[in-house]
Amino acid sequence: MSSPKTTKAKAAKPAAKLVGAAGKPASDEGMSAKDKANFIKAMMEGLKPAAAAEPAKKVEILRKISAPVPVARKSNPTSDDALKLAAALDAKFAGGDFEALTPEATQALMAALCKLYAANMEAGDKFPVVKDRFAVTGTDAMILCGALLKAVDLQVFELGMWQSWSGV
Amino acid sequence: MAEQFIGKASEFKDGDRQIVRIGEDEIGIFRHEGEFYAYSNFCLHQGGPACEGLTIANVEERLRPDKTSMGLHFTNDMNFVCPWHGYEYDMKTGCHVKDKSVRLRKYDVVTKGNDVYVVA
Ligand code: FES
Repeated sequence: MSSPKTTKAKAAKPAAKLVGAAGKPASDEGMSAKDKANFIKAMMEGLKPAAAAEPAKKVEILRKISAPVPVARKSNPTSDDALKLAAALDAKFAGGDFEALTPEATQALMAALCKLYAANMEAGDKFPVVKDRFAVTGTDAMILCGALLKAVDLQVFELGMWQSWSGV
Repeated sequence: MAEQFIGKASEFKDGDRQIVRIGEDEIGIFRHEGEFYAYSNFCLHQGGPACEGLTIANVEERLRPDKTSMGLHFTNDMNFVCPWHGYEYDMKTGCHVKDKSVRLRKYDVVTKGNDVYVVA
């Protein structure tokens, strides 16, 4: 491989041999020193290896996560009954009565709602589990989430892993 | 760094995201309020999938002048939350909401007509 020095020397040669139409040195033909310098520079540029083009990178789509679509459903008798029951329970709770339901009734209602909500989510009908941020407190949510995980023998880290895999 | 085509703008609804691998990088691309944002998908906490968790509005507690609370409220700023341990990042800057010095690597997104490119 030739050193940069050698390349320079070779590149300079053609400029030194420049001759005009009459066989006289080019500078005598009106080629200015600046033109000569430019010519030599252009020759040098031509001898440089072309800048390596950046190799095209492969773009691989790993997953697409869609924005939740609001679910619109007409009201129906079952929903109306559920709303009445929820209002009645809320009223009792507001009055300090948290024994309005037997444990069996609470369990049955909880299991039914849990299955119904999960089925909606899996079918792509995604909607927030409660209407707004203040429908339940953070403590309420943690107690219920913890109890549900415990009921099915799951740990919090398993929940985190599943969420990251499933994107739910 | 070169512009890498990642899809058509019309394929991204507001609130949609895509996770792509470009060379060595894994990048989350968000469309939020019509704008595109792209960040490294490697969480600064422990390398979790930072761009794949919940997106949630910023929560702030409003106080009266005497410092009594008026409760918690959502602001108009959107964050995304790493699903592993809950690091929360600002959608527009990629900064951790509590500690602005913690910041996900941000990639430029260029749109040309309907084509979307990430500079990576
Ligand atoms: S790895 Fe993201 S919060 Fe821990």
